[in-house]
Amino acid sequence: MTSPAPHSPALEISCTTCGARVVVEEDLRTAECPYCASPHVVERPPQAGRPDPVFVLAFTLDRDAATSIVKSWIKNRGPFVRSGLKEGVLERTRGVYLPSYLYGARAHANYTAKIGENYTVTVTYTTTDSKGRSVTRTRTETRTEWRDLAGRYERYVTDTLVTASKGIGNAELESVEPFDLRALRRYSPDLLAGWIAEEPSLAGEECRRTAQAEMREDIGVDLAAFMPGDSSTNIRSDVTFSDEVSHLVLLPVWVFALRFSADKDPIRILINGQNGQVGGRLPTSWAKIGGAILFILLALAAIFVAVGLFS
Amino acid sequence: MNEATCSRCESPLEAGDLRCAVCGNVPERLVTQVVSEGMEQTVLRCGQCGAATRYDARSESVRCPFCSGELKSEELTDPVEQTEAYLPFTVDREGARAALRSWLGNLGFFRPSDLKSAARIEDLRPLWWAGWVFDAQALVSWTADSNAGAGSSDWAPHSGQADMVFDDVLISASRGLTDKEAYTLSPSYSLTTALPELEAPSDDATLEAFDVQRSQARARITDGIRRAAASRLQENHIPGSRFRNIHVRALLTGLDTRRMAFPAWVMAYRYEHKLFRVVISGQDARVMMGKAPISWAKILMVVAGVIIAGLALGLLAVLFS
Repeated sequence: MTSPAPHSPALEISCTTCGARVVVEEDLRTAECPYCASPHVVERPPQAGRPDPVFVLAFTLDRDAATSIVKSWIKNRGPFVRSGLKEGVLERTRGVYLPSYLYGARAHANYTAKIGENYTVTVTYTTTDSKGRSVTRTRTETRTEWRDLAGRYERYVTDTLVTASKGIGNAELESVEPFDLRALRRYSPDLLAGWIAEEPSLAGEECRRTAQAEMREDIGVDLAAFMPGDSSTNIRSDVTFSDEVSHLVLLPVWVFALRFSADKDPIRILINGQNGQVGGRLPTSWAKIGGAILFILLALAAIFVAVGLFS
Repeated sequence: MNEATCSRCESPLEAGDLRCAVCGNVPERLVTQVVSEGMEQTVLRCGQCGAATRYDARSESVRCPFCSGELKSEELTDPVEQTEAYLPFTVDREGARAALRSWLGNLGFFRPSDLKSAARIEDLRPLWWAGWVFDAQALVSWTADSNAGAGSSDWAPHSGQADMVFDDVLISASRGLTDKEAYTLSPSYSLTTALPELEAPSDDATLEAFDVQRSQARARITDGIRRAAASRLQENHIPGSRFRNIHVRALLTGLDTRRMAFPAWVMAYRYEHKLFRVVISGQDARVMMGKAPISWAKILMVVAGVIIAGLALGLLAVLFS
C-alpha cells in the first residue's frame, strides 16, 4: 500500500498580538508575525498519512554557538577546497525542527556463514644451509579449518531514525547523527516557539522502506560481530521484521547556507542542534589538486635535470 | 513504581519513561494523545508581562525575552536510582566476629599456626550494598566455539536458541564491594525478608546509594542479563566442555527490576602489621569472602620435605639395585 505523500497547504492566520495577517508556509508548523515578531505554533487539523509528533528533541545549541562551530569547521577544511569557500558568507541561518520517524521492530534472521577455526601444524621442509648441504628443518604454520554454521537470531532494533522531510534527505540526516535519544521530550508546542518546525512531507510507506534498509544494515554489522570462530565469511541472512513501530520525532538541526560565488547556488551545511556535529562536505577543487600534482612533477623533473647536469 | 506495562514486551514501564527501556516501544498513552482536533494556533505568553515567549536553547527552557522570567523548565527524566527495599541483618556483630574467628582457624595447613590467636579485628562495620534484582523471560540467540565436534582445530562453531526464565537474579551496583565479593554473598540472601524502610541502622552503618542514573542502570542490567545467560548456556546448552567466543543476543519480555540493599559485615583484621579484609553476609555467617596470610615457612618446609623424601627414595633405589 502506498499512501500519497501528505501535503499541508499554506494557511493564513491573524496574529494574536497585533492582529496582522500571518502566512504559515506550506509544510511548516510555525510562523513568525512579520510586524511584531510574535512566534506562532500552528496545529493543523488531523490528516490521513500525516501523524502528529510524539516527541521533540529540543535544541541545546543556540545560534551563536552553532555559527561559531560552523565557522571554525569551514576554516579547518583542507587546502584543496574550492577557492572562495573559506571566504564565503553564511546566509539564511535557520534552526529547524526536522520531522523524522523513530523506528523500532523485532528483527528475526535466519543466517548461514562459514566459520574459520585456526590450528597450527608443524611442517618439515628441506633447505640448504650456508655450506650448501641439504638439511631438514621444521616450522609451525597456522591453518584455518572452515566449517558451516547456520542459525536463527532474534532481537529488538530500536533507535533507528529516518527523515520524513523532502527537504533534507536521509543521507544528510545520517551525517549529523547520532542524536542522544535520552533527552527526548514529549511533544509540546511551546518547545517550538520561535523556531521553524516542518511537517512531515514524505509518505509513511517510503520512510518505512528507508528505515527497514537502515535496520537491515545494522543487523548485517551486528551479525558479523555475533559470529564465533577466529574468522568468518560468506555471512548470508534473511531478515524479517515484526511488531514494527514508528513515531514522529522533531529533531533539532541548524541549517546554514554558505554563499561563495555570485553565480553559484550556496552550499548547505547541517549541524546537529544537540551536540554540534557538522554534516556535509565542501566541494574540492580539481584545478587545485591538478595544480599541486603538476607542481610536484615539475619539481621532480627539475631535480632529475639538476642531478644529470652536475654528475 | 510501575505505572503500566509495555504492550510489546510486557516489561513494566517506570514513571516518566517515554519509551520502553527494553524494546523501545512507546506507551499507548503517549501515542494516542491528540495534539489537535481542528486548527489550533498557539502563542505562548509570559505570565508576568504578557509578551510572546520562545524556547531558548541555552537554558533549554521557554523564556520570556523581556522580563527573562522562565516559564516552564521541563525536567528530563533520568533520575538517580533509588533503593526500594532493604534486607535486614540476621547476623549480629558478635555473630560476625565469631564467624571470622572460626574461619581463620579453618583455613588449612598453609596458613600461620597463630593466625587465629594473633589476628586482631580492627574494624567491623555494617554495610548495606546496592544491587538490582530482576525477573525476565528471554529468547536467547547464541553462537560459541566449543570442543564438541572439533576437527583439526581445537574448536568447532555452534549456534542455537534457548528460552530462559530468570527469577530473582542479582546484579551488583556496589562500589564498596568488588563484583566477586558481591556474587559470593548473593546466594545467602533471602529476598522475601525485604522491607520498604530501614529500621534504625547503627551509627557506623554505611548505606550505599545507587550512584547511577536510570539510563546507565539499564545498560548495566542488560550487561548482567547477558552474563547470566552466557553462564547458563555453558551449563546446559552449548555442547562440549570448553568454550570460547560466547555471543548472546536476548529478546527480553517482562523485565522487572527491583532496587535493593543487601546487608553485609565488612571487617578488617591485622596480622603482623598487615591489614586483611573480609566480608560476611549479613544474613548467613557461613558465607564470607576474604584474604588471609600464607605461611611461607610452612610451604618451604613442605617443599624441602618432598625434595628430601625424593632424594632418600633415589638413594634407596641405588642401594638396592
